[in-house]
Amino acid sequence: MLRRTGVFDERRLITGVVNTVINPIVNSKLVRNFESWLPQFEKRMGWLFLLAIILISLLLPATALAQESDQKSLTGRLVDLQGQSIQEAKILVFIDGHSAPDYEFETNHDGVFLFDFPAGDLTDLRLEMSHHHFQTVSWDATVEELAALREGTALRVPDFEMERRITVGFWAATLVFIAVLALIITERLHSTIAALLGAGLLLIISLMGDQLYIFDFERAIGYVDFNVIFLVMGMMIIVGTIEHTGIFQWIAYQAYRISRGKIWLLAVILMLFTSVASALLDNVTTMLLMAPISIQIALALGINPLALLIPEMLASNVGGIATLIGTPNNILIGSYAGLGFTDFLNDLTPGVLIVQVVVTVYVLLIFRSDYRLSDETDSRDLLNLLKENARITEPDNLRKAGIVFIGTLLLFVFGENFHLVPAVTAMIGAAITLVVVSSDVDEIFRVVDWSTLLFFIALFMIVGAVQEVGLISMIAVGIHKLVAGNLLAAILAVIWGTGLMCLLVPTIPLTAALLPVVGFLTQAIPGAGNALYYGLSMGSALGANNSLIGATNNMVTAGIAKRAGYPISYRSFIKVGFPAALISMFLGSLYILWKF
Amino acid sequence: MAKILCAIRGGEASVQTQDAAIELAKKQESELLYLFVFDIDFMDKTERAFRRDVIAREMDHMAEFLLLMAVERAKEQGVKSTMLIRHGKLREELTDVANDPQISHLVLGRPADDESFFTLDELQELAKEIETKTQTTVIFAEYSIDENN
Repeated sequence: MLRRTGVFDERRLITGVVNTVINPIVNSKLVRNFESWLPQFEKRMGWLFLLAIILISLLLPATALAQESDQKSLTGRLVDLQGQSIQEAKILVFIDGHSAPDYEFETNHDGVFLFDFPAGDLTDLRLEMSHHHFQTVSWDATVEELAALREGTALRVPDFEMERRITVGFWAATLVFIAVLALIITERLHSTIAALLGAGLLLIISLMGDQLYIFDFERAIGYVDFNVIFLVMGMMIIVGTIEHTGIFQWIAYQAYRISRGKIWLLAVILMLFTSVASALLDNVTTMLLMAPISIQIALALGINPLALLIPEMLASNVGGIATLIGTPNNILIGSYAGLGFTDFLNDLTPGVLIVQVVVTVYVLLIFRSDYRLSDETDSRDLLNLLKENARITEPDNLRKAGIVFIGTLLLFVFGENFHLVPAVTAMIGAAITLVVVSSDVDEIFRVVDWSTLLFFIALFMIVGAVQEVGLISMIAVGIHKLVAGNLLAAILAVIWGTGLMCLLVPTIPLTAALLPVVGFLTQAIPGAGNALYYGLSMGSALGANNSLIGATNNMVTAGIAKRAGYPISYRSFIKVGFPAALISMFLGSLYILWKF
Repeated sequence: MAKILCAIRGGEASVQTQDAAIELAKKQESELLYLFVFDIDFMDKTERAFRRDVIAREMDHMAEFLLLMAVERAKEQGVKSTMLIRHGKLREELTDVANDPQISHLVLGRPADDESFFTLDELQELAKEIETKTQTTVIFAEYSIDENN
């Protein structure tokens, strides 16, 4: 953004335009030849043509002019002490010793600035760079640099490092961030309301003076990752049409039939299905649909329903890691790190399979006594009701939605070859689903959870605020020092740190907050590649098995079980889940270390 | 014919409540009405979209299954019973159903553990409220823990 200040600018601008635009055109071969090629034209007509070109040229943006001319220019980049670019920093240009700035502009999203000088002598040049959350930095051109600029050289100066400053706004943003997390953890407010309240507060605080400034609305919106919003929305529509067809219940019933009273086999099949469904659809949807039918199957077999529900919960948390769309955490990570569907399939799925096999064996050992105690009902009415409750209710819609869903999965995989981002694929799949399955526009309002989308938008803003004021950067630097720049230590810290934090903090806000930290570590630690991003994915999902509140699917399953009269207490879940989380995080760590 | 209302869920504690209701029904030569009340407030804990009508339908299926188990249990002991599913809060729905003049008694189970929806005090307060509002006699079924289990 180039903004002009000062009193001599009109003269400078005209001189600049004449020197940089008109003279080159008038003296150009094209114009000279134009007169010789078309002698039948009046010279006057030629000049009219020239005038038209000049007018069009003047309408072009200043930067475009600069790029097309050999005008002298100065380029540079503003970074923080960790090398992260600083956007929207204000740069004041003082030319020839003027006390008032001659020009004022801002750095772009890469922290880069480009300044085109007006024509004329340049005896002195000083830049003053400032930002609300950084110490002001100034720079004076050396004699050699001035000489180079006078000669028309495009000068690239070394990156300017700016040091963070702790403002009152820093503390305000930090407090709001902690308060929102506390409200979500303690369930004092619905997570969406808590996040919206936090985002609103941050914007109001920013209006209360320079010291309290955090960011403006435009900047806050800039932190919202619309790839995530549209991917989540698209998947909501696709999954929403499948969820009420009865396919989950039908498959669970088939597992019951196939296992023929062998409960261990039933548990293995149900875990496998839950895992795959969680990877391809969404783990909360999977558990919401699997829990009621699993309770009925368990009761029909005369076993405690928790012997099926808890293994399914564990499998669901593990399975979700396998794909980009399996968990919201993966969607967040994928979008931030630029990881696509096939990246997750290639890099994480084999590891997930290993973890899943081991967790299944662990479950069979833990519940072995339950799996031996079968007392299957012989009530014809109950068995008929179970069969009736597990039938496919909308076979036609299932067929259509299934075809579109498979097509969408293929597009996720192959679309990457022609740069189709996952959000676009999901929206294409959603649109086709709506056309093929239901053209009723109200369907969109039923299957899209606008509250969730609002939660994500507000959460991005809140995390953006603590990023803006430097809190995230401080945490990142702290972790970097802690692991001494060692990749192995960093991978372990990310997986285990995230996994254990899931005991206290819900995984979505946790992942959103940790992503910029992991992003910094990835840049700072040589050879990190995508290992730390995958570590975050593993830690946040496998850590969910640590406790009942670790994941949303745990909580909704516990809600259903409680209403059925089989409450899952925090203690009873942790007894099974915590060792499972430790085993799976250990295996996950080994896999990531081996893979990267 | 007077009816005995019995609010149930699944689980061991509920079976004992059902047994108490069956015994009472035999003595009074009454029919049993099993009631299953549920809400889907746990959906507030999810940041994910899900159609509430779909999960309510699945919960209905589960409730129907649990109620049918109770009906069969009563049938085995020669007691006729019917079932009713209500969506909403237990306190309001129970009071509403108990308001039916045909209901003479309401059998409630004592809280089995810390995970129960009500504490004993809350349940006793609810019983008093229902007795005042509906003229229905409330009976608490004892819950004993099987040490061998």
